[in-house]
Amino acid sequence: MKKIMLLLGVFLVLITSCEKDDYCIKNPVTPHLIVRFYDDSNRETLKGVDELYVWAAEKDSIFSNVKTDSISLPLNSNAPKTVYYFSNGTTVDSFTISYTPKEEFVSRSCGFKMTFEEVSFSSDSFWIKDFTPTTLTTIDSQNAAHVQIYH
Amino acid sequence: MQLMFKYITSICFLFFVVKGYTQNQQKEISIDSKTDSVVYKTNYGLRLGVDISKPIMSQFNSTYSGFELVGDYRLSKTFYAAIEVGFEEETTLEDFTNSTSKGNYIRLGFNVNAYKNWLDMNNEIFVGYRYGFSLFDQTLNSYVPNVNTTYFPANTILTPITTNDLTAHWSELVFGFRAETFKNFFISVSGSYKILMNIKDPENFKSLYAPGFNRIFESGTGFGFNYTLTYLIPFQKK
Repeated sequence: MKKIMLLLGVFLVLITSCEKDDYCIKNPVTPHLIVRFYDDSNRETLKGVDELYVWAAEKDSIFSNVKTDSISLPLNSNAPKTVYYFSNGTTVDSFTISYTPKEEFVSRSCGFKMTFEEVSFSSDSFWIKDFTPTTLTTIDSQNAAHVQIYH
Repeated sequence: MQLMFKYITSICFLFFVVKGYTQNQQKEISIDSKTDSVVYKTNYGLRLGVDISKPIMSQFNSTYSGFELVGDYRLSKTFYAAIEVGFEEETTLEDFTNSTSKGNYIRLGFNVNAYKNWLDMNNEIFVGYRYGFSLFDQTLNSYVPNVNTTYFPANTILTPITTNDLTAHWSELVFGFRAETFKNFFISVSGSYKILMNIKDPENFKSLYAPGFNRIFESGTGFGFNYTLTYLIPFQKK
């Protein structure tokens, strides 16, 4: 009887001491939009923006006065498009990303991720001379740049 | 205390038998001596009961409710056919999802008693196998897409999505102890390791919990625990 009580105790400890055992290690779960800046006259070479400001409509700046040739931008999963404003310090260009957001189950700990399908880009091209591609079938990972901007 | 007496008397018994044997040997050396051991008869029959851990857990855990009936039938000295049927409902709270599984299950299999009892005692240290089947529904109560950004926070979606008629098939290995506390009345503690053989997942989601199986781990395995009280309806002694 004593033995059984002891065993019962051990089992109880085993069961109640269970900690959360899986953490979401997949990072990022929902992909961001990766933008890279290239030289318009020499389209093979990266060209950083010396003074880059980026913000979304009615939002605070996400990048403020940074010198970079590559940025990652979150997309709004609650809307069919996200409008960003890119400034090189003097001129402001809008850059619109249109898409169909879709939910995709990943795992117990990571939950659902968003993927963006039927993506299309548009810009009003003041300091942004050109960009490629203009459409993408899907953004479901961020292993490579999604769009190249020439300036 | 009662157990202590049993131990002491049985130890005395052992010495008594040994002494008797040596005396026999000396006296009747040429006569074929029959086996000296006394055969103690134990009850055979149908054992029925409940898993009391499940109603207790239902009381203390607001996200769980369950009930399980257990039964076994003794086929030979060490071999028992076993069955468990039950109902479970559990709400799984994760960082990004909240889902509820509920349904019925049945487990069929056998236990083998590896314990050599003293005298007419009827205790068990058993190992066993079960085949489990569960029929259940899973409802995704709410979820929030994992957008990993605070710049555009995601909305929590509160529209429940229910998937009916999900099924799970699994195998499990059982290890446990059983003690006869009063005449024909048993207490048993056992644990089990489960391996999922087949499961139906909801579309664009996953079965996170199956009744009778418990939480389904990423590797398709699970653990179970039983604490049962059973009563033996004796059919015969042998």
